[in-house]
Amino acid sequence: MGIATVVITALPTIAQMVGANRVLRGVSITHPTGDPSLGPAEERALRRRIVERALEMLATDVDPRTVWEVSS
Amino acid sequence: MKVVHYLNQFFAGLGAEEAARHEPIRLEGPQGPGKGLVAAGLQVDITLACGDDYFGEHETEALGWLLDRLSDEAPDVLICGPAFGSGRYGYACGVLGREAARRGYAVVTAMTQDNPGVIAAEGAAYIVPTTSNVAGMRAALPTIADLATRLANGETIGSPEEEGYLPRGLRRNEIVERTAAARAVELLLAKIGGETRTEVAPSAGRVTPAPKVADISAATIALVTESGCVPLGNPDRLPTRHSNVWLRYRLDGVGSLGSDGYESVHAGFDTTAANVDPNRLVPLDAMRELERENAVGGLYEELFTTSGVDTPVAVAATFGCEMAEVLVSAGVRAVILTGT
Amino acid sequence: MIEIAAFRIEEALLGQGLPSFADGKLVVGDIAAGDETLREMRARIVAPGEAVRIENALDVVLPTCDAADPGVSFPGVVGPHGAAVGERLNRLEGLVVVPVCDWLAAGYAQAEEFPGSYIDRDGPGAALDPWRSESMLVLEFIPVPGTPAGEADASIRKVTLGVARDLAATTLGKQADRVEVFGPTPAGALPRVCAILQAGSEGPLLDTYLRGRPLLDQAPLVLPIEDLFGGAVTAGAYDWAGMRNPTACYQSSALIRELLARDGRELSFAGAILTLGYLDGAEAKREMAAHNVELAVSLRAQAAVCTTFESGNSHTDTMLTVQALERAGVRTVALVAETNGGLTDHVPEADCLVSTGNEDESVAAWTPDETIGGAAPLGPIPAALHLGALTQMGDARLQAVPA
Repeated sequence: MGIATVVITALPTIAQMVGANRVLRGVSITHPTGDPSLGPAEERALRRRIVERALEMLATDVDPRTVWEVSS
Repeated sequence: MKVVHYLNQFFAGLGAEEAARHEPIRLEGPQGPGKGLVAAGLQVDITLACGDDYFGEHETEALGWLLDRLSDEAPDVLICGPAFGSGRYGYACGVLGREAARRGYAVVTAMTQDNPGVIAAEGAAYIVPTTSNVAGMRAALPTIADLATRLANGETIGSPEEEGYLPRGLRRNEIVERTAAARAVELLLAKIGGETRTEVAPSAGRVTPAPKVADISAATIALVTESGCVPLGNPDRLPTRHSNVWLRYRLDGVGSLGSDGYESVHAGFDTTAANVDPNRLVPLDAMRELERENAVGGLYEELFTTSGVDTPVAVAATFGCEMAEVLVSAGVRAVILTGT
Repeated sequence: MIEIAAFRIEEALLGQGLPSFADGKLVVGDIAAGDETLREMRARIVAPGEAVRIENALDVVLPTCDAADPGVSFPGVVGPHGAAVGERLNRLEGLVVVPVCDWLAAGYAQAEEFPGSYIDRDGPGAALDPWRSESMLVLEFIPVPGTPAGEADASIRKVTLGVARDLAATTLGKQADRVEVFGPTPAGALPRVCAILQAGSEGPLLDTYLRGRPLLDQAPLVLPIEDLFGGAVTAGAYDWAGMRNPTACYQSSALIRELLARDGRELSFAGAILTLGYLDGAEAKREMAAHNVELAVSLRAQAAVCTTFESGNSHTDTMLTVQALERAGVRTVALVAETNGGLTDHVPEADCLVSTGNEDESVAAWTPDETIGGAAPLGPIPAALHLGALTQMGDARLQAVPA
């Protein structure tokens, strides 16, 4: 059946290249699910949005090697 | 003969991880390993350098700038790296090498066989295989210099085995005598007769997308990471690179990955920002919030972690299978995997 | 049993008046430009080897008509929907009909997503053309501005198939150069092999038609070979030129011919199934794969040849069908095109694959003396944009080999 997996990474092309089918573009190489340039409340909100988008992708059928952005 | 050499921030002397976001820059003459190329008999006229993270996160801009410089300089050959085992650097070398080669430049790059840059190059550039670490520099440079000189002179290059570069994995179209239909029927009859043959096999990593999770609000999600996130102090000594293990840590009662409890030991990126708030690597706090609101059914009780630095694809695939086995037994059908 | 009478064209010219054929010479004559949805239609014969590039080539159609009653040819589009076709066909050889429409220039924004569809009659791309030895009667259509795309396309297909029929009808009553006879199928202990032909049906300009109706809700089904050769399946998808199935691939399927040629000798031909690719979602894909298996089993097939339509997630449909068949004990071979990144999809059970070529490989730039049907692009063009070059029904002679 397969385990639906979302890869959150700032280098989506590499994830696609090795065959990941659900890829969500992360914020940055050094902090894929955060942003130190934001204030704490904003950063929490951003991280929540990222996770919500990841969950959305898990709940969606995709073509092979699909990349989503957090904001669409 | 005019030579342009591409380096990352570290080898160009611009700084280490803190300079990983350095914008691309043009420097006169050879830098770092470029001097080794000179010693191997090649002149290096111009060096182009770019921070690995900058290239990775602003690929279009970085690539555009670098290709414009190539156009200005009109070199007879472009050399990228060697990148050794560095994934980000290798990726940049692979992408730049590919795009330059497709625009007609002679290109030589160098990195480990397993570097994602090899796949990124899509067979367009010549890639000299190297060791994982800089110890292989002295061995690599003469091969690079020699191949570069001959390419610049328009000489024909022999096979990978003869010349010491990686097989380019290209698949070239050939007009053949029999239709694909005739070949298909022939292969099928052979298979029925007990002899299975194929004209093409999958390259690594082609998997059919798993079906969607039908009801996220009832699903258990597991968190997995290659960011090297571990309990503070790295009690089980997760390797910082070339990891041959992955570890599991229980998340009972853990609502957030705080800097007092967790850190990253990953040797492949600057962990400063992540260590201030490890949720920036593994979004546990946000997952717990959504769990409380019943947006997800639940979070699997363990975090799976490893350091994805210079990890061969085969090893990573083994980790994935082992993790999957655990998760399948636990009835987990969905994963969020964070990568750096 | 099927009889196809072939008539060889030695010379073809446009001429005027009614179409005619005598002593190997075809006169095309006046072609009715269609109905009020089409503003203009230009006809032109382009011979093999001319320095001409044809752009926005929609389809390739073999001039064919039903010998018993030409009026039933191409049922549902030209002929009546429910007619029996294909038991006796007359076919002209040496010329094919190629409809052209520059959708983008005609104002159809959707055409921006069409990557281009070329036929080069000379230069490096000519070798990729499965119909490179044929003369081409090019029909260049310009729709009336503002006409919905689906309506304009329906007119284009109707005119094109009507021309294909009318040209072939000039051979009625004449002596054929050659007659091919297929069937009947002898009984025996040979392995029963079926063909599972995948097509795409995603709406106007992205469709495949069975008796003039979009295939969408009708598939999968067991398709009589008479219908297949007789023009009941016609093309109306205009993306991914290299990997789609022009009508000619259904009319003269190399795969079905190969199976019929070996019928009663190395295998017993169990029949053909017409199925869909590009199903929406994993569940729909698995259902279609299961349905394909049911039909294969109903034909008592012990083995199957699976074809693919175009690129992308249709390859997942092929792989899921292969997987379901193998798990049901039906041995498979599948035809797929490759990309520079390898295979688009794969399952462990797909251990027997034919490569119809690498769609990403660049064909060297060529400057023709003339282009028909669009603005000439500069530079090299990927094989994926040369019409029919990598058809995964298997009619072309391309293969990808290690470089």
